[in-house]
Amino acid sequence: MMMKTDLVVIGGGSAGLSAAIEARKNGVEDIVVLERSPYLGGILRQCIHNGFGVHKYKEDLTGVEFAKRIADEALALGIRCIRNTFALDISPEKVVTAMNPEDGLFQIQAQAIVLAMGCRERSRGALMIPGTRCAGVITAGTAQRYLNLEGYLPGKRVVILGSGDIGLIMARQFVIEGAKVERVVELMPYSSGLARNISQCLEDFDIPISYNSTVVDIKGRGRVESVTVAQVDAQRRPVPGTEFHIPCDTLLISAGLIPENELTKAAGIAISGTTKGAVVDDSLMTTLPGVFSCGNVLHVHDLVDHVSEEGARAGANAARYLRQEPAPAGDQIAVEDGFGVNGAVPQLIRREGPETVQFMFRPRDKFRSCAVCIDRDGECVKRVSKMVLAPGEMCTVSVERSLLNTARDKIALRVEV
Amino acid sequence: MWDAIIIGAGISGCSVARELARYQLKVLVLEKGHDVCAGTTKGNSATVHAGYDPDPGSNKAIYNVRGSRMYPELCRELQVPYLKNGLVMIALDEEQMEEVRKLHEMGQRNGVRTEVCDRARILEIEPDMGEGVIGGLWVPDSGMVCPYNLVMALAENSARNGVEFRTSTQALSVERDGGEWLVSTPDETFRTKYVFNCAGTHADRFNNMVSADVFHIIPREGQHLIMDRDFAPYVKTTIYPTPELLPGGGHTKGMGLMPSVDGTLILGCNADDVDDPDFSANTREGIDKILDFFEARWKYMPISKHVPKFPRDAVITAYGGSRAHPDRDDFILGEPKDAPNFINLAGIESPGVTAAPAIAIDMVKILVDRERPALKQDYKPGREIKKPFRTMTAEERREAIKADPDYARIVCRCEQVTEAEIRDAIRRPVGARSVSAVKMRTRAGMGRCQGGFCSPRVLEILCEELGLDPLEVTQSGGRSNILVGRACEPKEGEA
Repeated sequence: MMMKTDLVVIGGGSAGLSAAIEARKNGVEDIVVLERSPYLGGILRQCIHNGFGVHKYKEDLTGVEFAKRIADEALALGIRCIRNTFALDISPEKVVTAMNPEDGLFQIQAQAIVLAMGCRERSRGALMIPGTRCAGVITAGTAQRYLNLEGYLPGKRVVILGSGDIGLIMARQFVIEGAKVERVVELMPYSSGLARNISQCLEDFDIPISYNSTVVDIKGRGRVESVTVAQVDAQRRPVPGTEFHIPCDTLLISAGLIPENELTKAAGIAISGTTKGAVVDDSLMTTLPGVFSCGNVLHVHDLVDHVSEEGARAGANAARYLRQEPAPAGDQIAVEDGFGVNGAVPQLIRREGPETVQFMFRPRDKFRSCAVCIDRDGECVKRVSKMVLAPGEMCTVSVERSLLNTARDKIALRVEV
Repeated sequence: MWDAIIIGAGISGCSVARELARYQLKVLVLEKGHDVCAGTTKGNSATVHAGYDPDPGSNKAIYNVRGSRMYPELCRELQVPYLKNGLVMIALDEEQMEEVRKLHEMGQRNGVRTEVCDRARILEIEPDMGEGVIGGLWVPDSGMVCPYNLVMALAENSARNGVEFRTSTQALSVERDGGEWLVSTPDETFRTKYVFNCAGTHADRFNNMVSADVFHIIPREGQHLIMDRDFAPYVKTTIYPTPELLPGGGHTKGMGLMPSVDGTLILGCNADDVDDPDFSANTREGIDKILDFFEARWKYMPISKHVPKFPRDAVITAYGGSRAHPDRDDFILGEPKDAPNFINLAGIESPGVTAAPAIAIDMVKILVDRERPALKQDYKPGREIKKPFRTMTAEERREAIKADPDYARIVCRCEQVTEAEIRDAIRRPVGARSVSAVKMRTRAGMGRCQGGFCSPRVLEILCEELGLDPLEVTQSGGRSNILVGRACEPKEGEA
């Protein structure tokens, strides 16, 4: 027996719920959201700190409050959210195979799909940090879950590797919970987190941060007993002779997030080597027609407000696709990353569509008083001045489609210093 | 009074346990680790070597070839995945082809099928083999196994047939008392007729306590990397370069690329002597050796056709282990002349995993020939275990969920391990007692996220099944607690 549905949304976090809400508002009646956990809201459920919703709700909310608002809105619209449900596979024919303890294994034939599975954290293994295999090496998000959802402290004397936002938030929280945060160690000369988190989570709590440094060894039998930190050279390789030991019981890792695209790959959808998310056009449609991608599974965002906004766009575009509005004529134009630009999304521009096209990307480095240039076949057609660009903050630029759609070859984004 | 005590629950100890379990004997296994397979057997290249390269006539050659032939049936009986994928040793120039011919000759003398191949023949076997490979040696009977999976199965099967296992129980000494042996642990002394010394990198200590015929084990570390399963479809066979001779004489197989039975790729390893017999770490030097090796030679590997540059970001984890390298350069087997009923299975370095089942048969035969024990009437050769959910067909999944709805709850999303499998791993004979023990039995936490998402849930299930407080759960026994306190406890100086 196969269920039939207009729209299946995979993931009931802020991206997926925003997509479902917007699709419903755009007239899609038949929507199913599949959520693997027993709760809606995704990772926001463990984010008890504030700073969420400033753009979307013009209010400073905690992650939990943000999650509740968006989940309440979806439920009020009567959107069917099936929880405890794990999506196992998406076929190129848009058949979703999923399962849960109540219904067992089942399949849904969808007309359109929104992918909103989120991301995972880069682990000790992926970073290949040498040392012994002791307990107490933990990613920041996992520590956040233990602390905020389970009520347990995963360490009392903590060194943090990487200055990603979750790590910075957790630094502050460890201190509030009575633990000691010895130091944050960042490989790059700048933080990969938001400037406000550096100030509110480290500086306000007198937590030192070492830039251009990394953890080169972990010692301990049983639990972590110390880590060894060293400075790195311009090629990010440890400099011998600069090592120092920090006694601690925990190494918290906050060194990047990776979109979780296992289902996407299984469906044969093209993946970008840079963002590790799907390749999408400016309607957020992937290379499999009718399948859209949004939020942290598309590319890793800094703010949930942006995740939510992108989810809403994916939902609206899925609704448009389901109304079978004629697909825009002509081929698509490829977008390239130029100097200073990392992982511009979308990677493809349609020749027709809404008046403006929005690009997002991560700056490769810190730049001051610079401009983002959009080149059409090598000729700059738009220049947007920026006071400062930093890898820790996603850069957004909007461009009129009329400036782009006459491109013969390609569009490129670059930073002009 | 025990009939036999086995010191060490690695591949040697558990193979002996399973052989002894066939007889009406009281058998005890002492393991100092928190779990079976916590030492040398856990961290190696997972290869079931065909046996073409050990010195003809050596224990290594004899038991490698015999052990390798036992594997298909052994793994079938215990329901352990075994992959006979063959091995290609690649040659890049005429000098290496000369070495290939020598090893082919060695293979012939060991009675192992090998074939000297030109490039055209290599491409029949591994169609995407990189440019620059001019030929090589094809070893069709080389295979892959998951060593800890096999040890768990051997232990489980032995326990099912009455063998007793004590983990976190370190044997400290062995001494002669009349015609018997006394084996002491920190809490207890056990009396036994026979001792099987399967203590891996510590085996020399026990031998040297009871025999004047002393030997030494030199721990030799080896490190490996694991690559994401996305890349496994691009390579079928195990690939090794033609070995370079070691300065001290002899050679190791060198760095290999091994498709694991679990669908990931194993890269490694190095071979460096260390002081610590319990070494299981990774070092910068060790990891860099592997990375540098594969970065420089990536173009020869079949994957390079699809992924031209070595994909560093596809490495999901690293592991290390130490081999029990004996100063006699061969497996040290049997009774020392001055210590009857004390049986060594020592110096079991590569190809130890392959050889162990065959060695165990001969070592147990010493006891059996002397004591003539009766066979157990109700001996069960197999194991009752369901297929992993990950490898089930849709129909099998449907049936499994119908029988147990916990099969519909995925705990480890990367490796698709269900709650039912985790509960089963805890409830089975020689069951899991730690997060790492669950991981070794189910693969929960072995995938790309390395336990980031599933470990809190695994911890919870361990608490439910074993009646533990979350603060008591360890990663791998001892003092490796995952959590150190409750949140929001009153701080020092506060009311």
